[in-house]
Parts: sequence; structure tokens; C-alpha cells
Amino acid sequence: MRTPIAYFLVTSGLLFAIGTVGVLIRKNALLIFMSIELQLNAVNLSLIAFSRMHGSLNGQVLAFFSMVVAAAEVVVGLAIIVSVYRRTGSVSVDDVRELRG
Amino acid sequence: MLPTPKLDFLPVLPELILAGAGIVTLLYEALAPRASRATHLGLSLVGLAAAAGASIALWDRTGDPTVLAGAIQADRLAVVARVIIISVAAVGLLLGTHYYDRSGDERRGEFYPLVLFATTGMTLIVAAADLIVVFLALEILSLSLYVLTGMSRRGQATEASMKYFLLGAFASAFFLYGVAMAYGATGTTKIAGIAHALAGQTGGQALALVALGFLAIGFGFKVSAVPFHMWTPDVYQGAPTPVTAFMAAATKVAAFGALIRVLDVSFQPLAWDWMPVIWALAAASVVVGSVLAIAQSDVKRMLAYSSIAHAGFVLTGLTAANQDGIRAALFYLIAYAMMTLGSFGVVMLVSVRGEERTSLASYSGLGRRQPLLAGLMALFMLSLAGIPPTAGFIAKVGVFGAAIRAGHWQLALVGVVSSVAAAFFYLRVVVLMYMQEPQGEEQEEDRSPLPRLALAVPAILTLVLGVFPQMLLGVLDKASVLRW
Amino acid sequence: MLRDYLPVVLLAALAVAFAVASMTASRLLGPNRPDPVKLSAYECGNEPIRLPKGEKFGVKFYVVAMLFIIFDIETIFLFPWAVTFRTLGLFGLVEMAIFIGLVFVAYVYVWKKGGLDWAEGQGPASVREARAAAEADLGEAARAR
Repeated sequence: MRTPIAYFLVTSGLLFAIGTVGVLIRKNALLIFMSIELQLNAVNLSLIAFSRMHGSLNGQVLAFFSMVVAAAEVVVGLAIIVSVYRRTGSVSVDDVRELRG
Repeated sequence: MLPTPKLDFLPVLPELILAGAGIVTLLYEALAPRASRATHLGLSLVGLAAAAGASIALWDRTGDPTVLAGAIQADRLAVVARVIIISVAAVGLLLGTHYYDRSGDERRGEFYPLVLFATTGMTLIVAAADLIVVFLALEILSLSLYVLTGMSRRGQATEASMKYFLLGAFASAFFLYGVAMAYGATGTTKIAGIAHALAGQTGGQALALVALGFLAIGFGFKVSAVPFHMWTPDVYQGAPTPVTAFMAAATKVAAFGALIRVLDVSFQPLAWDWMPVIWALAAASVVVGSVLAIAQSDVKRMLAYSSIAHAGFVLTGLTAANQDGIRAALFYLIAYAMMTLGSFGVVMLVSVRGEERTSLASYSGLGRRQPLLAGLMALFMLSLAGIPPTAGFIAKVGVFGAAIRAGHWQLALVGVVSSVAAAFFYLRVVVLMYMQEPQGEEQEEDRSPLPRLALAVPAILTLVLGVFPQMLLGVLDKASVLRW
Repeated sequence: MLRDYLPVVLLAALAVAFAVASMTASRLLGPNRPDPVKLSAYECGNEPIRLPKGEKFGVKFYVVAMLFIIFDIETIFLFPWAVTFRTLGLFGLVEMAIFIGLVFVAYVYVWKKGGLDWAEGQGPASVREARAAAEADLGEAARAR
């Protein structure tokens, strides 16, 4: 018996929502970043599910690209967060307040 | 054997040249024992010139509207947007070379490849005919800009870089989810394919609307429209000034180029659904940007809020959802790119080394100390305020006209009222420069000729487009026809 | 058939609403009476005396790990090609050669910029530091005796 596609889409929507809430309520830059990664992976899941639903490969191709992009984002993002940490000794977005706003 | 796709690389030649120039400068930086800024600059400018030539050569291209299996659009909109972005990048590189020479910072040779890669992403995004390519181009330009923002010893730059990165990545996730939903709703990621699928269906387009919403959030962040503008002031203030100049001017052109395609091609069948959304974004950006700019005491922050307001004016043009609106938006983008580039360039020269003098107070008496710089700044401020005979005035008339002809006269009214309020803080700078005595003791001034020469380009264009707009409007008439 | 997905959208909205509502509810309704004892580290936990501020941050490991991840992920594009390389023929081979060439450029850059160096001497820097510190301690102990 095949699992209905809708289940995957619901799971993906839930994961994306959890990631979104995580970004909005977390104060630690690393945790915010992890929530963003969760969002991206949620999107990958729905891409694969849609790809199955339409029987076309486009979605899977896009999922491949999004994985590589996510890895590139990890590298750049962590480099930035590490340099902030080395400068201020904290990665809380509340402590980083040299700029107003 | 699978059929080999027909390969027509000419329409992506500008991107290939730009990426190639980026790789050459990167290898030069890595392999040359004593890489010099002058060589870097020379290599990059040659690359930019070649890319500009390659894109202008595409103007009279006939044949398939899309190439490379429907991934790249070969139309005149792409040509115009590319030429603007490449010119902005060239001026940005000249300003940046001067900035790092003066600021006594480390060598920062990576500035050149990063600007070139960001430019590649920006030109690719305006030529993309597939949402996958749009996403990839968006990431190429964003990742380069995150790093460029942090390219300074100052703590502010690192902090700005982190904020930009976190919010930018958040926006990318929304954008990608939007792409996924558009794919789910229509079974394709091609910009034109989505339009065909949506036009064929009747009713039940909930998923497509959600996709549109998510894409709008993603684009809203990139063009810094209210309510997705929170990062803009911090990032524009914290980033090194030449980087701010480059990203404020070029990113907006690139993101709007892609937004025009997505709205006026992909989601054209749903135009009546997205129009109110864009209407609201435009009104909010214009009002919030203009009002908050008044309260700023730092000139970079003030220009950041002004850029938010200008994003709103471009969106005003787009609410027309027709060729008229696209043409007005394109003209506005060109005028905006020139005056923003120019004013940040002046800001860089006024602060002498690094970011010493960016408060509004340091502009008092500039007219006496540095008449040429003050004159340039006054010209850009008048243009940003939309006062004739500058490009900013013609541009504002254009977008308001397009909005009124499409029946959005209320939005045009909001825009006009906000422009009047905004004129206050632009003119305040002019008043400070000419009607106040210089404050404090004599300080070192930056009188180098090269960056002034670079700033002549946006200054001349701002004036010429204000006096003879017909020259450009004829070109834009042809560029605003979307072929798909 | 798109109507079928309306529930998905509704459920997603519900999920967000629920997550936000429950977090707000726990913040508003839950008693919040902190005192020093409650806030202190529990039982065997210790208050950290100081955080490693910069000087002992093992950036070397981090750089190598990041480089590994980025080059590792790039190979993701080799798998689909490897599965179908006979059908893709020469075209695929050339495309892949270009791709690997680009990755190689990145590698040359990292290499020349010193991203792969473990400090000047032999072995990981942290190992040598630790060894030096241990020897200094031993010497001090010997002198004290």
C-alpha cells in the first residue's frame, strides 16, 4: 500500500512551521540557523513529494540543488557566526547591538 | 543515448564571462605572491566590459525566447537590466579599490572575485526563465554579499553581516518553499510554463496563491519592502560604504528584474489576486521608509530608509501589471541605481578613511570645504527627492502615471504625499552643506581624482535622464515587452 | 484537484498557531518565581568560571570540517551522472569535467590560502599546545620537589 502524498506534504508543512517559529523565538544565532536549515529540509521533503505526485524529475533536481545551496550557506553562515563570536564572545542576537535597531 | 539538448550559449555569455573573470581574479589572489589591487581592478574591469559588450550584442537577437532547455530567457529586459548591473558593479569596484587603499585595512583581495560573483548572480537572476535558476542565482548573489558585508575590521561590519545572513537565509527558505508550491500546483518550475498551467485551469488555485505569497515574502526581503525591511538600515550602515553602494543599487535592480518576470509572466493569470498585495507592500514601504528616514542622524541609515521608500515607488509602478508599468518601473530602477550609487559614493569620500564621518553633522559646511563633492551630493539628493530637472523626477512621474492609468490613483496619492514628506530630509542635507558653517577644526580631506571620475558617471546620467528622458524611454519601450 | 491541498495549508496555519499559542500560554500562565537557587546549575553542574574567549577557540578544526562538508556535498552531483553516464555520453563527460574543474579551482584557492595547513610544525596545533602545556606542568612539579 502506498502512503498518500498528502502525508508527506503535511509533515513538510509542520517541519517548516516549526522552523519558522524557531527562527522567530530563538535568541542564539546558531539555533536560529539550525531552524533555517530545518525549513530548507522541510522544503526538500515537499519537493520530493510533489515530484512523485507529478511523476516528473524537476522537483528532485531542485532538491539536489537546494541541498548543495544549504551546505554552502552552512559554511558561509558558520564562518560569520564564528567571527562574531571571536569578536564579542557571544552568539546571542541580543548581545550583538552595536548597530541601532 | 538521450538527446543532447540544443546548446546555445550566447545568451549566457555575459554570465560566463563574469564568472570567468571571478575565477581569474580568485586564482590571481591565490597564486600571485604579491597580488596588487591595481591588477585586480584591471582584470575585473576588463571582465565587466566584455560582459557588457556580450549582453548588448544580444539586443537584436531573434529566435527562441528561451535557451538551454528553457532555463535562460534571451529578451531585451535581461539586456537592459544586465547593463545597469554591470555598470553599477564597475563603479562599485572603483570606489572599493579607493576605500581599501585609504582605510589601511588588510589587503582584502577577495573583494574583487566576490563582487564579480555577486554580479554574475545578479545578471543571471534577471535572465532566468526557470524558478530553479532564479533560486540558484539568488543564492549566488546573496552568499557573495553576506561575505562582502563583513569585509572590514570593524565590529559593526561583522554584526551587519550576521544579521544580513540570518534574515537573508530565512527569506531564501520562504522563497524556496514558494518555488516548491508553485511546482506542486502546476507541475513545472518554468516561469512561462507556470503561466500556461494557471491560465488553463479554472478555480481551485489555492496552492498557487500560497506559492505566490511565499515568493512575495522572499522577494520582499531582497528588495527590502515593508514589512520585510528590518535588516536594511543595520546592514547598509554596518557594511563598508562601497559595498553598500554596490548592493543597494544593484541588488534592487536584480531582484526587481526577477520579480517582474514572476509577477507579469508566471502569475499574470492571477494578476487580480496579487495586485492588492503589491499595492499594500508599495504603500507601506513608501510611507514607512519616508517617515523613519526623517528621524535618522546617520547619513547611511537615512539613505537605507530612503531605499526602502524607493522600493515602494518601484512597486507602485508594478501594480499596473502591464507593459506601461514595467517600463515605468525599469526607468525608476535605472534612476534609483544611479542616484543611490552616487550618494553612497559621496558618503564614502566625505568620511575620508573607513567610516569616520557618517553622521549628518559632518555635512555642515561641506559646500565651502569641498564644493565639488557638495555639488554632487546636492544633485543626488534633489534627484532622490524627485525634484526636476533630475532623473528622480521623471521616474516618479512615470510610476505614478502608470499607477493612475491602471486605476490605482489612491496609491499614487499616498506616493505623492510621502514624496513631499521625504523631500524634507533630502533637502535638510542640502541646507546643511550650503547654509551652515563647518563644524570643528580643520580635518583631513579626501581629494583623490579617481573616485570623483567614477562618480561622474551616475551624476551625468542623473542629469541627462532628467533633461532628455526620451533617449532612454525609446529603449525601454522595446525592453518592457516580455517574450515568452 | 487543487482543492485537495487546502487542508494542507489549513493544517500548516493551524500548526503555527498552535506552536505560538502554546509557547505564549506557558509564558503567561505558568508561575514564574525565579530565585538564585532555582537558577543555579543543578546538583553536580558547575558554574563555568570563564568562557573560552577567542584565545583557545579551535578554528583549525572548524575550517577543515567546513571544507570537508562543502567538497563532500559537491559530489552529490556526481551520483546522478554516475548512474546514467552511458546514456549521457560525451556531453555528460565534458559537463562533468567542467564541473570538477570548477571545484578544483576552489581547492587551489583554499590550498594556496593556507586553509589546509595545520599550523607551522607537525601535527595538529592543539595537540602540540597540549603537549607543551603538559611538559611545562611537569617541569614545574619537578622544580617544586
